[in-house]
Formats: sequence, C-alpha cells, structure tokens
Amino acid sequence: MRDELTIKSHAGYWLAALLLLAGLVVAGVGFATGDVFYLRLASEALIFGGLALSVDILLGYTGLLSLGQALHFGLGAYVSALALIATQSFWTAMGVALAAGVLGGLVGGFIANRVRGVYFALITFGMAQVSAKVVYNTRSLGASDGLIGVPVLDINFGFFSLSSASPTAFFLLALAILLLLYFLAAYLLDTPFGRLLIAVKANERRVPFLGYRTATLRLGSYVLAATIATLSGALYPMLRGFVSPELLFFSTSGNAVITVILGGAGTLVGALYGSVLLTVIKSVVGSWTEHHLIVIGLLFMVVVIFLPNGLMGLIQPGIRARLARGGRR
Amino acid sequence: MLEYAQFVLAPQIVTGLALGVAVILVALGLTIIFGLLDVINMSHGEFYALGAFIALALGQVGLPFWLLLVAVPVLILPIGYAVERGLIQRVFHSEDRHVTTLLLTFGFGLVLEDALRLTFGPNPFKPETPIRGTIEILGTYLPLYRLFMIVVGGLIIAGTALVVYRTRLGAMVRAAAFDRNMAASLGVPVERVYAGAFAFGVALAGLAGVLLAPIYSVFPTMGRDFILMAFTVIIVGGMGSIGGAVIAGLFLTQVQAIASLYISPVWTDPIVFAIMVLMLMVRPQGLRGRLGHA
Amino acid sequence: MTAQRAPAGPILDVRDLSISFGGLKAVDGVSFNAERNRITTIIGPNGAGKSTLFNLISGALAPRRGRVLLEGRDTTGAAPHRLQAAGLARSFQITTLFFALSVAENLRLGAQTLEPAARLWLPVGSSVRARRRVDELLERFRLTDKADYPAGKLSHGEQRRLEIAVALAGAPRVLLLDEPTQGMSHGDTAETAELIRGLASDVTILLIEHDIGLVMTLSDHVIVMHQGRKIAEGMPEAVRADPAVQAAYFGHV
Repeated sequence: MRDELTIKSHAGYWLAALLLLAGLVVAGVGFATGDVFYLRLASEALIFGGLALSVDILLGYTGLLSLGQALHFGLGAYVSALALIATQSFWTAMGVALAAGVLGGLVGGFIANRVRGVYFALITFGMAQVSAKVVYNTRSLGASDGLIGVPVLDINFGFFSLSSASPTAFFLLALAILLLLYFLAAYLLDTPFGRLLIAVKANERRVPFLGYRTATLRLGSYVLAATIATLSGALYPMLRGFVSPELLFFSTSGNAVITVILGGAGTLVGALYGSVLLTVIKSVVGSWTEHHLIVIGLLFMVVVIFLPNGLMGLIQPGIRARLARGGRR
Repeated sequence: MLEYAQFVLAPQIVTGLALGVAVILVALGLTIIFGLLDVINMSHGEFYALGAFIALALGQVGLPFWLLLVAVPVLILPIGYAVERGLIQRVFHSEDRHVTTLLLTFGFGLVLEDALRLTFGPNPFKPETPIRGTIEILGTYLPLYRLFMIVVGGLIIAGTALVVYRTRLGAMVRAAAFDRNMAASLGVPVERVYAGAFAFGVALAGLAGVLLAPIYSVFPTMGRDFILMAFTVIIVGGMGSIGGAVIAGLFLTQVQAIASLYISPVWTDPIVFAIMVLMLMVRPQGLRGRLGHA
Repeated sequence: MTAQRAPAGPILDVRDLSISFGGLKAVDGVSFNAERNRITTIIGPNGAGKSTLFNLISGALAPRRGRVLLEGRDTTGAAPHRLQAAGLARSFQITTLFFALSVAENLRLGAQTLEPAARLWLPVGSSVRARRRVDELLERFRLTDKADYPAGKLSHGEQRRLEIAVALAGAPRVLLLDEPTQGMSHGDTAETAELIRGLASDVTILLIEHDIGLVMTLSDHVIVMHQGRKIAEGMPEAVRADPAVQAAYFGHV
C-alpha cells in the first residue's frame, strides 16, 4: 500500500471514525443530561459540514471554487420542507431531495462548467444570488419569511423508528447520514474517477490526452457535490422546523468555503472537522460579542496566508506517516 | 404614446442611467484590479459600503457633500494601498493565485463589513439628498440629483479612461498589465503601480458609495447585492477591459430598468444573469479584451 | 522512397492538412503517410509549423481543410479523448505532467484506459492491469526508484522521460512525440534515443526533433517542413542531400 493518495484517503477514514466516536460520546452525554441546545447545535454543525463537504469535492479535488453551493443546499432544504409538509414522510423527503440534487447538479453544472477559473467562482456566485432573490420574492415559497410549520417526524427504519423531536435521536441520525455521505464521497474520490478529478485540478490540459473528456468529469464532480449539498440541506427543516431564504444567501455559501479552508481543502474529512470548529468558535466568541464575523474573518485570513492545508495540515501528516509505515511492514 | 415616453419611459431610463454610472464606477475598479493584478477583489462591495459610511459620518459632522466627493476617495486610497501591500502581496505568488487572493479578499471583506456593523450598527441610514428638486426637460420631470450623478460619474469614468489610455502613468499601468517582468526591466515601479491600482480601484468603489448613499440606504451589507451587478458587468464587458465595462454597465442597467417596467423587478435579475451566461457561452472573453492586451 | 507497405496500408494518412492564424498559413496543404511501426520524423526550422501539425493530428486544433485517417478511419478534428480511444497518443514539447502527483500516479492515470470502464467506479487498487502497466513503464523508463516522487520534483531529463511514458501508458498504436529530448544533456539524449528506438517495435512513432544527428540515426522516414509547407520527404540520407532542404536550413528561400 504505497499509494500516497490512498493513504491520505485512509487517514481520512480514521479521522472520520474518531468523529463518530466523539459524536457517540456527545450523544451519550447529551442524552444523560437532557440537553437540547447543544445537541441541536451539533446537529446543525454536521448538516453544514455536509455543505462544506460538497464545496471541498469541487475545490479540493477538482480545483473549482464554488461561491454558490448554498443554492443546492437551499434547494434541498426547500424541497424537503415542501415534501414534509405534504407527506410527513422522511423517506419521501430524502427521495425527492436526491432527485432534486442530481437534477439541480446537472442543470447547475451545465451552466457553471461552461467556464473555468475565476469565471466559475463568479458564475456560481451569480446563480445562487439570483435564485436566492427569486425565492426571497416568491409568495408560494413564503417569500422572505420562508416556509414554517414543518411537522415533527416519526422516521421509520422498519425494525425501529425515531422521532425528529428527540434531540439525541436526530443528532444520531444526522451523524449517520453525514458520515454515510462522507464515506460515499471518500470512496468515489479514491476510485480512478476520483483520481481523474484530481488530475483535472493538477493539469486540466493533459487530461483529454489520457482518454477522458474533461467536461464530463467536471460535470460528474459538480453533480456529486450538488447531490451531497442537497441531501444535507434536506435535513435542515427536520432539525429546525422551518426554512428561510437565508439558506441560499452568499453568507451560507461563504461559510462553507470558510469551513473547508479552516478544516483543510482536499481532505474531505477536514470539511466536517472545520464545521465543528467553526460552530465552536461561533458559540464561544458569540457568548461575549455578537461580532464573531471579525474574529472568523481574521482567523480565515490567517489560515489562508499561513496554513494552506488548514487544520488537517496540522494533524494529518502524522497519521499518514503511521499508515505508510504500517503498510510497508 | 408620447405621454408614456414622457412620464414612464424617460424617467426610468434616467434612473437606469444613474444606477449604470454607479455600477460602472464599482465595476471599473474591479476590472482594473483584475486586469492589472489578476486578482478578483471580493471585498470590493465592502469598500463601496465603506465609502458610503465615511460619507455618512463626515456628513453628520457637517462636511458639505461637494467636499465628500473628494475626501472619501482620498481617505480610502491609503487603506487600499495598505491592503494590497500588506495582504494581497503575501499570497500573490502562491501556486493558485486566483483562488487564494479571492479567498483572502473575501476574508477581508467579512472583517470590514463587521467592523462597519460594530461602528455604525446594523440598521440602515438614509442620508439626505444633497440636491433636491426636479428639472423639466422636454416635458419630462427628472430628479436633479440623478442627473448630477450621471454627469459627475460620467466625468470620473471618462477621466479614468483618459488617465489609463492617454497619460504616461496610464502607459506604465498598461505595460505592467501586459508583462510584469518586461515593465519592471523598463523601470516601471511595478509594485507601487500594483498597489496604486488597487487603491485607486477601491477608491472608485468608495466614491460610488458616496454617490449612491442618498438614493439607497446605507447599511453594512449594502455591497453584497451591488457587487453581483458589478461582477456581471465585468464578465460581459470582458474582464480587465475599461471600455467593455462601460458598454456592458450601461447596457445591463438599461435592460434592468426597462424590463422592470413590464415584469416584476424580481425577474430582472435572472434576465441580466441569463445575458451573462449567454455571453460566456458565445464569447467567453467578453466584449473586449484585457487591459494592456487590446 | 516507397517504404514497404503494411498489409492494411499506412497507419496514419494525412491529406492536405491546413490551418491559418490571422492570415498566417501555419500549416499549408501538408500530406504524408506514416507506416506501421516505423519512426517518421518531422524536421524544419523554428516556426515551420511542426507543432501546429501535431496539434492538428492529435485533436488539439481542428484543421480548416484536409483529412486525417487513422488506420483508415477518418479522425479529422476528433477530440483528443476520442483519438486516444482510437489508438493515438502524444507527448508535449513543454512538459505537461501532473506535477503535484507521484510519478506512479501520473502513469496510472495514463494507463487507466486499459481497464474496462466499470473499473472507474471501483477502488484504484483493483485496477490490476493498469498497475502492472505502470510497473512495466517505470522499469522501462528507469523511474522505478522515483515512483513515489511528485513528478514536479524530478530532474528535467526524468520529467522528459516521464512525459513520453505517460503518453505511452495507454498503449497507443500511434505515438506523437514533440521534441522528446528538448533541453536534455548529451548523455540523456542518447539514452532517450535508445528508448525511442526500442518503442518502435510495437508502436508507430511520429517525431519532431531538432537534433539532426539524432534524426539521422533514429528515423526511418523524414519529412521536412518550411513555412507551413512540406518541402521534402524521404530516407534520412536522401533528405539531407536535398538542395531545397539545405536552402531552408542554411539560406533564406
């Protein structure tokens, strides 16, 4: 097992397992103390971690900076809310979101992949801003108020069921779904398909001469990312009971980019850790000032300048070295 | 028919023109910065807001509006210069300059925006219009301030183009945009030109803020909506092209102004966006080429 | 001048290929054949249109006029990824590798098309045939020691070798090499020439080369270009003696 990229991917698995363990501890402590606030916050961190995950697939693996990923997250949140209000079924909502994710990804990818580089960043920014403005002004979608009154769900898994009203149960559900999405993405990115995305990032010009169409690869990457963002967004109304146009705003997309950079671009698991970190910073800083944006903005700038690999750049090399040694033995 | 033109169409065109001039001022800065430094300045909208807020603060202590038009850009210049030297240059030579500089300026924009909120609070201010009243031209009543904006903004845009294309300083700027190393070997102080161009670009955005503050309200996130239009303008006009930005700015704001007579204003944004997407499909380089290249 | 015909005719048949850039005829009515498993070299002064010709044949540019037939099939203006599938690959004059990725990964990316398409969705480790191809190429191009190095950390000579190896990885039947020895030391050049000679046993090679000594020893067939046109072709010795060629190189025609 000398393949460096596979080792990197496996290092991510270990860190994801650690996150699972930490999640179980949080769930246990939360359940024992009857906490609501922190479990809800942690669930939210995971859900926004999914959005960041999708940004990292584009930025860290395919070299495409999306400044409008909230479009797909918001799409998921809205279709899920509409489906839940209509049917009260978790599975219907997730099914509809999956379809919306793939479809939205195909449409968005078709538009955004016309261009590359900074143009890609600006066109995704534009797509999301325009859509947000339309949603903000559409009566039937609740306009600026958003959609409220998403019902409490009984989510049926065949042999057991859980209620979205229980903070612990929903946190565990969010943890399971987000880790599932993470493993799906990590698996795909360690296949030859994923390696071709990395190749597109490293040197797009050469890829066609390897025998692959870059437009298809970029579209594939976009659809994968959009689907993950949409499915993550679908969980939001279940957690909060409402959706609002803010979910599509640039602040949401921007937050996801900050999350990826803090966690470490090109690591996937960094997106989840970054989201946890950002949530912690926000609540800690938020407890003594409402101006947490200054702190986050400054921290973000420091990371961009001094820590190009973010948090994962600090901890992953050690794990990778261990795995590499273990593999050789 | 004539009445329609007099009372509906003409005022709308003038409104669009005033907005167009302001958009062009913002877009001009963006496009000069991109054309010269190859940097997308994500904090540009916040500099626009900064200009409006400085004008607001100075206006409150009694400075006349006329003075603000000069004072605000002059105050923003050193800030822009410092941001370029102190921040952008730190990552300017990194492998992926486009992304890192975009991220860095995005981060700076967040800080600037929150600093404005910290200083002035989150609520909108509505400064008084410095020139009130309307004027009758060919039976159409037009607000004086908007005409003033069009004239002043137009002069500044023309002045900028004149400096870039007709002066020695402009020649240095264009040389630096065309080939940095070549320009440096010819004795152009490239680093100062870069920082100066960035400072000039954000000062233009600040000036647009001063001009627009009496029309729109002033609030910390005011730059966010505006910046989308400016980005659209420089993409359609051709990134880095001054002439392109002017043409695209006038065209797109007119499309928006006239379309909003017939359809809900909500849908004018998608129309403008669709024009941009079409433009990118047909002519990815935009209307005009880059600064120094055409 | 007529080389022995393979039963199926020439593997690459280029007819009247032309393109111009803003009035400048970069490639102007060039026709030639490349015979199977031979080395056909294109020479000519700088700006003769050699690299443009390569770009036209390899799908990087679409010609304004003319045809390219690969094993009898019309591939004119086909996209590079289609040409790769049809059995044509190329290297670049300016090294165009995945510098951030390891040497082995560069080669694996090139070899992936040897696997069935379904393997795209299975873990990289399961693409055994590609992996075997990588090991074979590492050895052949003497890069085994450097397999785990990022391509960007290789020496110039090693990068030039890897450039050829990546193009070869997908087992093409026609390989276009654009100045493979560009910037190499004398020793490296000789070694690379040896490598290329060895490749010709199972690949048809189309070569652009400046080193005349190398051209003479390596080529089965030489095509001379000047100002976008083909001015001569034939066996290396015959071409060298051609007065038109000498004029193009040493005088101003």
